[in-house]
Amino acid sequence: MRLLLGAAGIALMTVGLSLLVTGGQFRDVALWLAGAVVLHDLLIAPLVLVIGLLLALLPARGLLRGAFVGAGCLTVIALPVLLAPGTPRNPSVLPLDYPRNWLLSLAAVAAVTGAVLTGRWLSVRWARRNRAGGRR
Amino acid sequence: MEDMRIRRIGPPITVRPPRFAGRLHDARTATAVGRWLGAAIAVCFMTGLISHYLQRPPDWLAGALPSRPAWGYRITQGLHVAAGIAAIPLLMAKLWTVYPRLFVWPALRSVRHGLERLSVAVLVAASVFQLGTGLLNTVQWYPWPFSFVPVHFAVAWLLLGALVLHIAVKYPKITSHWSRRSPGTLELPAEDGPDRRSLLAGVAAAVGAVTLTTVGQSLTPLRRFDLLAPRHPDHGPQGLPVNRTAAAARVGPANVADWRLTVTGPRSYTLTLDQLAALPQHTVTLPIACVEGWSKSARWTGVRVQDLLERAGAPPGTALRAVSLERRGAYRVMEMGGGYTDDPLTLLALRLNGEVLSLDHGYPARIIAPNRPGVWQTKWVSRIEAVL
Repeated sequence: MRLLLGAAGIALMTVGLSLLVTGGQFRDVALWLAGAVVLHDLLIAPLVLVIGLLLALLPARGLLRGAFVGAGCLTVIALPVLLAPGTPRNPSVLPLDYPRNWLLSLAAVAAVTGAVLTGRWLSVRWARRNRAGGRR
Repeated sequence: MEDMRIRRIGPPITVRPPRFAGRLHDARTATAVGRWLGAAIAVCFMTGLISHYLQRPPDWLAGALPSRPAWGYRITQGLHVAAGIAAIPLLMAKLWTVYPRLFVWPALRSVRHGLERLSVAVLVAASVFQLGTGLLNTVQWYPWPFSFVPVHFAVAWLLLGALVLHIAVKYPKITSHWSRRSPGTLELPAEDGPDRRSLLAGVAAAVGAVTLTTVGQSLTPLRRFDLLAPRHPDHGPQGLPVNRTAAAARVGPANVADWRLTVTGPRSYTLTLDQLAALPQHTVTLPIACVEGWSKSARWTGVRVQDLLERAGAPPGTALRAVSLERRGAYRVMEMGGGYTDDPLTLLALRLNGEVLSLDHGYPARIIAPNRPGVWQTKWVSRIEAVL
């Protein structure tokens, strides 16, 4: 079963490779494929790990990590609309104020994070006061 | 010997693989994220395949393509782009989880190990490549020297194959870490459990965030949250986005001033715009669904393609070729199989939401058909040939 699955995988990869080779653009594509690995392994991953190390020093690490992951991913998907070169001559392509919207989305992440933090803090205080009240 | 000792002033420098003190770089995290990523890639592949063959059907398929459901392409291509965007947080989380394995020591243990690592390298390369090129394509940004469509299609097969192979190789690990109670999971430090759940919750929230801020470009009820998508359903001439403007297609008012529609077949004929508008008009609600992922429904009014072909003496279900006034472009000549021409929803439209078509939407007349990619909803149609 595993062997069959593995063989199917290799067969599918062969289809892709042969499409690339017969497409006549193999060298350029291979370069960009290798570039994708280099981009991730040498730039994105180390950057994320360093931020992760810094986050580990803070309290409420899990929540802040979630906020960082959310803000980071929003930024990644916003990069093309933020950085696309030239002004589109088609008014229905990239019609929005993307820098503003990007900041708005980050502000929303910050607001949700703040709300959860406040909620946690309140519930801890509430529990403490209840315990204190019970003792009295 | 003496020489070497003198040279070594500081501590000896040796290259050693980094060690990772952080937690959660484990098989349970990889499995929990990986299965969602695998599902997203499978959705992208299937919907991509559908899109590819709807756009460029081989001859044997062209006549058999179904025109229903009318919203079919809107769903599959909306899903294609949404699943691709949702896969970005998942891919980043997955690669973060397994990143330490890049530095396993010794780097190569055996031929088998080498092949396994090579297949993982292909998997990483192809997945980053597909999501990156796909995302850039949605903003019509092409920084690479190759043409997007055939390469995105070819690398899709490479990615799916590498993924299937990866699942086969990792099968025992996947099954032993499938759930919280699986034997492999139970062997991991129990105190990592809550931290892992918090990480997964963060990744899930990121998937939700990137989806919510972009999916409104096709899922129009969520348009208010469309902050970061390259299109917005409300931005475009006559309230409908346009992929190729009249200016880009080099069609100006002068080109359409003395427009005539020629229909060829056993009884060829030519109509002026007034004569065309005097034929029985029908109004249908159909979406424009673009390969780049945006879509919006609109009300179209015009003449049934069925009626135009029948008037030319062509039997029901005849395929057609439509020619646009645009000077050049890959989509100037469009072919449509009998499944579409026979559908009463397929129109040569003259009006959009009750108004005469604007030049950007294909004035004087454009094709609108159900379950078809937007690029084949040919605008500025001047000639229709029955293909007998």
